[in-house]
Amino acid sequence: MNGVYDGLTVVELADRRNQWAGKLLADGGARVIQIEPPAGGPGRWCGPFVDDTVDPDRCLDYWWYNTGKQSVALDVGRPPAQDLLRRLLAGADVFLESTPPGTLRAYGLDHGSVSSNRALIYTSLTDFGQDGPWRDYRMNDAAHLALGGHMASTGYSDPTLTPIGGQGHQAWHMGCVFALHGITLALFDRMTTGEGQYIDVSIHDACSIGTESAVPEWLYNGATLYRQTGMHASARRRADLELPTADGMYVIAVNQTFGDRGWAKLIEWMEEKGVAGELTDPKYRDEAVRMADYRQGTAVLDGIRRLIAACKGEEVFTRAQSYGISWGLVRAPEENYDVAHYQQRDFWRDVEHPEIGRAIRYPRGPFMCDALGIAPRGRAPHLGEHTRLVLEGDLGLPAAQVDALAAAGVVR
Amino acid sequence: MNASVTLPKGILNGVRILDFTWKTVGPWAPRLLTHFGAEIIHVERVGSWDDHRYAAHPSPIVGGPQKEFTSEQGTGPLHGGGHADGKKPYYNTPYFTILHHGKLAISLNTRHPKGLALAERLIGISDAVVENFSGEVFPSWGLTWERIHEINPRVVYLSTSGFGHTGPYKAYRSFGPTAAAQSGLSLASGLPGMPPAGWGFSYMDVMGGWMGGLALVMGLLQARKTGEGSYIDYAVTEGAMSLLGTYMLDFQVNGRTTRRPGFPPGNRALWPAVAPHNTYRCSGKDRVGQDWWVFVACETQAQFESLCRVMGQPDLSTDPRFATNEARVANQDALDAIVGRWIRPRRRYDVMRRCQEAGIIAAVVQSAEDRVEHDPQLKHRDMHPVVNHPEIGEFEYEGYPVKLSRTPAFVHGRGPLLREHNRYVYGELLGLSDEEMKSLENDKVI
Repeated sequence: MNGVYDGLTVVELADRRNQWAGKLLADGGARVIQIEPPAGGPGRWCGPFVDDTVDPDRCLDYWWYNTGKQSVALDVGRPPAQDLLRRLLAGADVFLESTPPGTLRAYGLDHGSVSSNRALIYTSLTDFGQDGPWRDYRMNDAAHLALGGHMASTGYSDPTLTPIGGQGHQAWHMGCVFALHGITLALFDRMTTGEGQYIDVSIHDACSIGTESAVPEWLYNGATLYRQTGMHASARRRADLELPTADGMYVIAVNQTFGDRGWAKLIEWMEEKGVAGELTDPKYRDEAVRMADYRQGTAVLDGIRRLIAACKGEEVFTRAQSYGISWGLVRAPEENYDVAHYQQRDFWRDVEHPEIGRAIRYPRGPFMCDALGIAPRGRAPHLGEHTRLVLEGDLGLPAAQVDALAAAGVVR
Repeated sequence: MNASVTLPKGILNGVRILDFTWKTVGPWAPRLLTHFGAEIIHVERVGSWDDHRYAAHPSPIVGGPQKEFTSEQGTGPLHGGGHADGKKPYYNTPYFTILHHGKLAISLNTRHPKGLALAERLIGISDAVVENFSGEVFPSWGLTWERIHEINPRVVYLSTSGFGHTGPYKAYRSFGPTAAAQSGLSLASGLPGMPPAGWGFSYMDVMGGWMGGLALVMGLLQARKTGEGSYIDYAVTEGAMSLLGTYMLDFQVNGRTTRRPGFPPGNRALWPAVAPHNTYRCSGKDRVGQDWWVFVACETQAQFESLCRVMGQPDLSTDPRFATNEARVANQDALDAIVGRWIRPRRRYDVMRRCQEAGIIAAVVQSAEDRVEHDPQLKHRDMHPVVNHPEIGEFEYEGYPVKLSRTPAFVHGRGPLLREHNRYVYGELLGLSDEEMKSLENDKVI
């Protein structure tokens, strides 16, 4: 399989913040060498684990974020390992790191120390970037969703309940997408100039531009938004549109318009379920009337609520969509495995896992495009699986020297 | 109308993108490239416009050609109202500028044969074509991938849609909340035992748009390397599922589903389970009466011991209920109550500062107002640059978060006015004469 990042060598200093960017590089064909501590990077210890048994080679979160990478275990805190890393960077195209600002300067591994490789694209993805008054503050993913504004917009209509941050490392994802945006632009530029550069990405900066209308509403309308259960925060309280189905699921019944055809079908459907009520009144055939009621009144919403309560979730979704109504069903992530649509789009890709004696179906990744080739190309590495390959094969160290470094605990 | 256009010097000078995007998720992809000097031609329907020219949402004018727009339909500049004569539209709100600054704007009726011919000529001189219509729209104009590729084999075609261009859902309609719901993102957000909290904005229009931007630069890089264009069929729901891989694998390997008691865990931590890790109510309320909150977490024993000292309760760290992380997780309700009592009467930024000074993870749940007006870090990083708009004046907007040392991003002044660049694009780029353009205007093609 060809990939957009074919032929590149990426060195990634293991960190939970940056590993998705490294994964997309590896999925796109780059050789990604992950440098992790001899005890294993933090991504190996978070869980969930296979059979819930703690094992750094069987962490499923690590498996997902590190497909196709190589693992070299080095204690970067010690000078011999620092020297090895410097030598690796001399031949690398991209360096991806997320250490607290200043750390790598102390190791002689900051951009200035390794920029004799003029082609190197040195990328620091950190909580706050390389400067500023909060630079050294401690953060994690949920803390970023708090500070970046996502929580302020997310939660429940009940004003006594807490704001909520979504699960799944979303702040780190937002940082990674921009880090990789910068890297890819720098690669584009390097094709004509031959020159690499330094890229500084702050997760807080990335998150802070990711709250859609919240900032424009404040900047241009002076509005503070109300949190609302399962739907957009808004300057005005709105009726609940996250509605329960007959089989205990929820439908996000947000729709921007009801055209004549869709409306006629909707009423027919309500009549079939015996819940149309007053909506059979001919006045609702006028789009302006029904849309005004949908936005400000109760009749249309009550009818929709009754209809959804009378149907199973799957029926609501597929019938509404077939009428051009953009309602969404709140599915569990894993329920998508059974959806024919994604199967037909070849979204699930088998990755062999000898650890458990079978292949596992991974999500392909965001883009369907053979030319980019972004898809998992193999399982995540075991801890230190490629230490010898890289030190002996790439750096030309004699096996005896690697043995000695291993005995001294510098490598594993 | 500008007869010529000069873009600032940037990495992407010489790259031309034909941009048929609208709403939110589509425009982000080309917008991210404006920061580097790409020439982006935003195409709007003749006699109509991108509805973000007037409003974020809901739009009062969706789908209506040639509707008279007056300031009564909105209040304040976000809604395009407030013009002195109350009638003449701005065609160019700040929100439109956020999504389209630095682009060129033309009008074109692609359903007219002459309009389609112009679109095809523009594809012939572009490096990428970008759209976020439902799957049937481009083919209904005759613009299938095969046709686009035939016109210009070097062109990158990025289509952003809810479900993609193939498969049983290809005609289904979607916007941010649909994609978040269908993928599982919404379910993975909320308090246990409560309805899903989802995301209180269209996360998948924003993050989904950024992923589209990533696809676009990937496509341009690949085309520069190989000389061949590509067709990127980007389904936002698939993008969203790609943010949930851990849950997919947990199901595949351990058979664990996310519909289970205790999931989602609110703001508590699951992988790994650490405590404390939660939001806590502070003193004070926001402008609409919602309480203020701060998030606090301890991921190490040292952080917890520091927190006990900061709270003035050092003995807590030797209390058997809280002495180890395992014990703290098991007794999380009691621990949250203790931390919550300490924080409740305190000011949110004081809690954050005192915790952070002691090395503890702490973050105010910041509103947009907090971030724009008070966040010293965003100010230092210039994340709300001021742009000058000829009709509205100066205003702040949301910047670009990648700092490249040698080829820095730059900010343009404003979004383009309606059909501001017709003369440049049709006259200079395509070489049409004034008479030809006049005739096309009379035929309502441009």
